[in-house]
Amino acid sequence: MDIRLTDCSVRFGDREALHPLTLALGERRIGIIGLNGSGKTTFARLINGLVKPTTGRVEVNGLDTVKDDRAVLAEAGFIFQNPQHQLIMPIVSDDIAFGLKNRGLPAKEISLRTEAVLARFGVSHLARRRVHELSGGETQLVAMASVVVTGPKILILDEPTNQLDLRNRRMVADTIEALDEDTIVITHDLGLVERVERLLLFHEGRLIADGSPGETIRYYHEVAGC
Amino acid sequence: MLTSLYVEGQTWFHRAPVRAKLIALLALSIALFATNSPLLLLPAFLLCGGLYFSLGLTLRQAFARVGVVFFTILVLAVVNLFLIPVPDVLALVLRLMALVLFAAAVTATTTIGAFMDEVTVLLRPLERLGLVRAADVSLALGLVLRFVPDIFARYQAIREAHRARGVPIRPLTIIGPLIILTLKDADTIAAAIDARGFRRQ
Repeated sequence: MDIRLTDCSVRFGDREALHPLTLALGERRIGIIGLNGSGKTTFARLINGLVKPTTGRVEVNGLDTVKDDRAVLAEAGFIFQNPQHQLIMPIVSDDIAFGLKNRGLPAKEISLRTEAVLARFGVSHLARRRVHELSGGETQLVAMASVVVTGPKILILDEPTNQLDLRNRRMVADTIEALDEDTIVITHDLGLVERVERLLLFHEGRLIADGSPGETIRYYHEVAGC
Repeated sequence: MLTSLYVEGQTWFHRAPVRAKLIALLALSIALFATNSPLLLLPAFLLCGGLYFSLGLTLRQAFARVGVVFFTILVLAVVNLFLIPVPDVLALVLRLMALVLFAAAVTATTTIGAFMDEVTVLLRPLERLGLVRAADVSLALGLVLRFVPDIFARYQAIREAHRARGVPIRPLTIIGPLIILTLKDADTIAAAIDARGFRRQ
């Protein structure tokens, strides 16, 4: 991935959600940690253009998130904190097909790609299931499949193991690790970012640490006071 | 609700094109009102019933789906016995039940995705006139079907939270948080629709 932020800040009303930041991200596996309200999610949404910078600019693989917003959304897929909100269609296979239909692909190709991505994530048996009946782990896998099917080069996952039990957490973590796409994982689950190439720590809207997982996690414990 | 009424199957009616089924439903609903003869309506009722019960549903499932509507039709029939001649009441019952059975058969054999695709196609002429955006209507329909169970689950959760705290359950104290939570989720859902590339093409 090639993500560049240049003097970029985000302000919501009077609140500075993200202080001016200049940063380049090029690794394949990146993690983001921080306390609640530290600016992690704002940073992640900034990267795929869901949040626009108040000042500065963000470029994703050479595309400007303001000028080329649609292209950026195609380049960087986003998996939301609550994946239930992300599944828009009532039936799993219809939801997977949703993003492809929006691209105007022929029905045959939509069907083939839907089947392929369900198989890739090991959830073919869920194709005809209603999304509101899926378990937490299944929902997370289907949400990932629904984004991956459209072929983004970067996947941004916002707290992907949130509210999952140990078994589902392991299953989702393994799936993320095996992804071909570059990933940015925002999480409170420190086990999930132990093996990333680069870990960023946000605190009160500022990037306060940026380095290897070991160092950054140690510093995070100091910041959190525990 | 279409979300919960689709039945997996390989019958000829499952394979029939959605458009043909919807047109047949429209034609049937007009044709059944063109006659008042129980002798003509009875075969229509039997055919629709035969179709509905051949879709792979158990008897219990089949009756559960149409039971409430049939009960309402029977109540209507009893009231009408005091107002109109018996053959007319019989015609009314047969006509409505035939329609309900055929509509239930269409619902049981049509996935929501196929239904939405067809709605989009059928609305295209109106889109060309600049009256609607076909994809928007189709998406709105899908969103309603998708999120009704979620809103109902949230309603149940708020009710339980009331009970757990010993607060009396009143519609006003439930509707407030329900609307606020639903609107809060709506923001995320809108962002998700955007992120999934709706209108990207």
